Amino acid sequence: MNKKQKTVLVTGSIVVVASLIVWLAYGGEIFTKTQVLVEKKDELFGWTDKQWVNKFVWGLDLSLLISAITAVISAALLFIFRSKKKPSELS
Amino acid sequence: MKPFVAVLTSLLLSSAMISAQSFKVKAKGEQTFNFEDKMGRNQVVFSSTTPLEDFTGTANEISGKVSFDIANFAKTLKGKLTVKVESINTGIELRNHHMKSDSWLDAADYPEMTFEIKSVSDVKQIADNKLAFKVKGNFKLHGVTKEVVADAQAIYLDENDQTQKRAPGDLLGVQASFQVQLSDYDIDNAIIGSKVSQNIPVHINIVGSNKL
Repeated sequence: MNKKQKTVLVTGSIVVVASLIVWLAYGGEIFTKTQVLVEKKDELFGWTDKQWVNKFVWGLDLSLLISAITAVISAALLFIFRSKKKPSELS
Repeated sequence: MKPFVAVLTSLLLSSAMISAQSFKVKAKGEQTFNFEDKMGRNQVVFSSTTPLEDFTGTANEISGKVSFDIANFAKTLKGKLTVKVESINTGIELRNHHMKSDSWLDAADYPEMTFEIKSVSDVKQIADNKLAFKVKGNFKLHGVTKEVVADAQAIYLDENDQTQKRAPGDLLGVQASFQVQLSDYDIDNAIIGSKVSQNIPVHINIVGSNKL
């Protein structure tokens, strides 16, 4: 493994780990959401209603998608940056 | 003579208790409440809990009317509520689409869920304007009608400055809860049990007005 390949591998690993850290930081939800339910007290009747509010929640699906794309790009780059042996080194 | 007095006393007491189990409010006679809310604040909330995934959904397009006699809530309550399947929201667009598809609730063929009141029992007076009771009714979902019993509470608010901000007239707030077993309504899908629970608790929070 040459220096460029090592850089690709380390960068890819960092992206995957970072996406998992972000997923955990958002609460470890399975699916990405753009709306969440919040409780709101109805002052007139004294009960609690649920309301949808716009809020982005990073899900595991997004982390897996990013990880998959990173893996494909990294594999392609590892292939591109592979060490090309000179014809004299082949024999 | 003594047994006669005892029977008479118990009859009077029970009739007093029965009459006590109704709203003590300014309004008299039969009242009809319309639960249509163009603001979408009336809601049905349902949830699913499975080892793989939990989610909560709402439906807000609710319409219908209930009526009852103030003096005899339990014996006179009648009405029907309708919920548009299309208004279901689970917070994820793709899941909403799946739920309304023919694999689940089939909103195209069965666009509405309905609850028609049949009878009321176990009425308890919580406050002058608040009753807790059990309501038996026909719940129709996915084209199948089954009898369910819901635990309910109703709050009657005479019209005042606060209620007028919500809607004109007296307001009736109703909360009700019951369970829906999906297989009872011919809803069958491979992921029931793993990603969607078979038993779905349904909770209703609705407010109606007698001047809508």
